[in-house]
Amino acid sequence: MKPEEAKAVCEAQYLGVEMEGVTSNVHPNVVGVGIGRKRVRGMVTQDVAVKVYVKEKLHPLLVKDGEVIPDEIEGVPTDIEQSGEFSIWRPIPPIYHRKVRPAMGGLSIGHYAITAGTLGGLVKRGQDTLILSNNHVLANENRGVEGDPILQPGRFDGGKEDKDVIARLVSFVKVHEAETNTVDAALAMPFDARDVTPEILNIGRVRGTRAADLEEKVLKSGRTTRVTNGVVQDLSATLRVGYSQGSFLFTDQMIVQGDKGSFSAGGDSGALIMDYQGNAVGLLFAGSPFFTVANKIENVQNALNVKVI
Amino acid sequence: MASVEEVKKRYEGRLMSTPGVVGVGIGRSGGKTVIRVYVAKDSPKVRKAVPEALEDVPVEIVVSGPFKAL
Repeated sequence: MKPEEAKAVCEAQYLGVEMEGVTSNVHPNVVGVGIGRKRVRGMVTQDVAVKVYVKEKLHPLLVKDGEVIPDEIEGVPTDIEQSGEFSIWRPIPPIYHRKVRPAMGGLSIGHYAITAGTLGGLVKRGQDTLILSNNHVLANENRGVEGDPILQPGRFDGGKEDKDVIARLVSFVKVHEAETNTVDAALAMPFDARDVTPEILNIGRVRGTRAADLEEKVLKSGRTTRVTNGVVQDLSATLRVGYSQGSFLFTDQMIVQGDKGSFSAGGDSGALIMDYQGNAVGLLFAGSPFFTVANKIENVQNALNVKVI
Repeated sequence: MASVEEVKKRYEGRLMSTPGVVGVGIGRSGGKTVIRVYVAKDSPKVRKAVPEALEDVPVEIVVSGPFKAL
């Protein structure tokens, strides 16, 4: 008999494919049937065999009566291969959108009522180690109250209040409509200090902070566009920035232009902007179709009375 | 001579209230320090409303689009 015919018999006997004259059955261990070269002790032979793919290859003595697959079917040899169960490939979300402990800079984070932003990094205030990001990421644009749960990843990335709360909101700098602003910044206190580490995903440890220079090359690691490189174009910008509650005026801002396309996009808010020596120079919070805007790190540290670590 | 920072500060309010202007800053262009005026959309109207120089400091119009919190 030809291998194709023997294969059809196997499909009927093990996978339940209907065939005239053969009682269809479903074998609990068989997940597929095909045709290929028989392998003996790992070596491919010249013999064509019916391949029977199984979840688990058992020792012949352990196979139940009635579930034994014969060495030959209709004169064609069989070859049992352990394939495991087949499944469709589901896209794995990027690490930036996943729950990571200890959490670090670059990852998705957010106040429970917002979509998602970026965890900037860690800061010290007195003895406390705190998470730094934007007011509009951790404090929901002034609407948050002290103690509000902070999710990692953010809600948009599947963060849930029953299992992904990493910290609680402790303080934020209000953004004002009537006055000028210099920072969009907030702090959250981790419930367990072991849940955070002072690193930035794909960049590494933060060495310190300094003021950037005009035309200096910088980079950032953020939830949406991940690691991007750019150049500082402006260190004295006064801008009107649109928020969900209106437009606010910011002074003393840094403007960065991406090297290749956008330096940032929605969800990158809160990322630290870094120089090439590992120093934090800015806190990303806004952008236009062509530029990214960041608070100067010195203004952030002064406004919150913290030190980036 | 007044510093570029001082010149920018003096004209910032007026520039920011010009329709179409979304930001004012300082940058470099062709080796010179310039005042950058960010506009939401390029138009002859906004180019006419923004002077080419302010007290000898060249002004560069930068088409940025509107700025939004990310």
